[in-house]
Amino acid sequence: MNRNNFLPHIALALVLILVAAFAGQLRRWQIQMKNRARIFPTADKRREPINNIESAPYDSRDSSAPEVLVKFKPGITEDAIEKITLGLHDRVEDEIESVPGLAAIDDLDDASAESVAAQYRALPDVEYAEPVFEISADDFSPSLVTPRDPRFSEQWALANDGSRGGTKGADISATTAWSVTTGSDKVVVAVLDSGVDYTHSDLASNIWVRPNSVKPYEDKELGTIQDLHGYNAIENSADPMDDNGHGTHCAGIIGAEGGNDIGIAGVNWKVQIMPLKFMNAGGYGTTKDAVEAINYVIDRKKAGVNVRVISASWGSTQKSRALEDVIRKAYETGILFVAASGNASTNNDRNPHYPSSYNVPNVISVAALDRNDQLASFSNYGVKSVAIAAPGVDILSTWLGDEYEEKSGTSMATPVVAGVAALVAAHDPKITVDELRTRLLASVDPLNSLKGKIASGGRINAAKALQ
Amino acid sequence: MTKEEAAEKARKDLAKRLGINESQVSERSVADTDFPDMALGAGAADEMSGQMITRGWKIQLEASGKTYEYRADKNQLRAYKFNGKNYKI
Repeated sequence: MNRNNFLPHIALALVLILVAAFAGQLRRWQIQMKNRARIFPTADKRREPINNIESAPYDSRDSSAPEVLVKFKPGITEDAIEKITLGLHDRVEDEIESVPGLAAIDDLDDASAESVAAQYRALPDVEYAEPVFEISADDFSPSLVTPRDPRFSEQWALANDGSRGGTKGADISATTAWSVTTGSDKVVVAVLDSGVDYTHSDLASNIWVRPNSVKPYEDKELGTIQDLHGYNAIENSADPMDDNGHGTHCAGIIGAEGGNDIGIAGVNWKVQIMPLKFMNAGGYGTTKDAVEAINYVIDRKKAGVNVRVISASWGSTQKSRALEDVIRKAYETGILFVAASGNASTNNDRNPHYPSSYNVPNVISVAALDRNDQLASFSNYGVKSVAIAAPGVDILSTWLGDEYEEKSGTSMATPVVAGVAALVAAHDPKITVDELRTRLLASVDPLNSLKGKIASGGRINAAKALQ
Repeated sequence: MTKEEAAEKARKDLAKRLGINESQVSERSVADTDFPDMALGAGAADEMSGQMITRGWKIQLEASGKTYEYRADKNQLRAYKFNGKNYKI
């Protein structure tokens, strides 16, 4: 370098350093101002967190990062958007030009992104609002997804906030699982029960409908059934409407439509429920009709319907060789069979309960837990014969007449496991029935209360099952 | 079926089973009970039932110095372990 050029270069470098330092100070002032706003929010604009559910990971990120994505309805001007956000003590961080009306919004209050999104969703000018989630391509970084179904907070099995004497976190970690998948309408779960109220507003869009590519059900002796959405083995008809409520309850646990602003969310927000009726209005049925209904499921699977799971919330102490044989046939066709362990408070290793005690590779026997991760007082158990446990006390789900009811039993724990199996099948469509069973049993949260009581010693964890 | 109707029906059934007059059957107690399943814990042979806790009534009747149990809810009435067997009425 020439000595004559040296001084101008030094001067230029100093100027650049000063400019950079000033810009940095400006940024610090900006953050300080923002933090002041967080510490001293105006009382009328302070937002209360909506619930106790732990907030998503964006809390740990840069405080200036946008926290919600809000889509305003067509025709809402930029000025109006500005006004709305200012009114909520927020600011528009960026407008997403490719989607008119979509804006990334940064809130200036100390509120969770979920509560901010909920506040925007309540506005008439807003089409949708959702929290910003971190997306990581190469590691599993759990975030929480909370559906906007109004009674979700009562579904302790999915997200236990510790209310009503429960234990926070004694749940199947559904909100974490849903950051991976909320289910798929390509997965079919057969609910073998008292039928399903397929007109229930929270179920109707998740009910299986036979595609045109699949021929109606034909049975040599029983004739042709124009099955539109399932089968009634009692009447040998195409109408599996529930006249008891039990099957509708189980169906809701597996797949009440999530995020639809109605009632509850199922373990799967999206799934296809195939209603099957073999139990009558009293809630009981014959082994013969159960066998007929399973035979129907196997036939549909062979015809190309992607049935992955049969959920069986029923049983007795009577052993039926025919029932065992048809469940084995379901295994050979690639269908998991999830069954209730029974409600007699007894040890199934000594007093078997069927079909859950059949020694067939696709059978998973399910015990019930209360909201404190304790084995339910009524639940059967068995370190050799009962595989896994799931929430089964005071479970809110769909009921007849477009209603919702809380019910208890291993009947309620069974569809929780069937639902998680469907989530796994949605995420990993090629998984085999053996792999699926192994995956579920390996993804439990071990519990002291289940040590020496059931084979896996734990409660199913949907998030772990999806890892 | 109401609780009273269930108790009355149970009395008639027991009298018939024992071959005695209805007046010889007395009602000992009728109590609200949670049963372990939808067959009210009294499943008959070749029967499968929903494994849901079911609210119903335990009806205890007395005849010829012996106590007999029936179980009922709005949908059904069952004789519980009558001579060792359960019966749907």
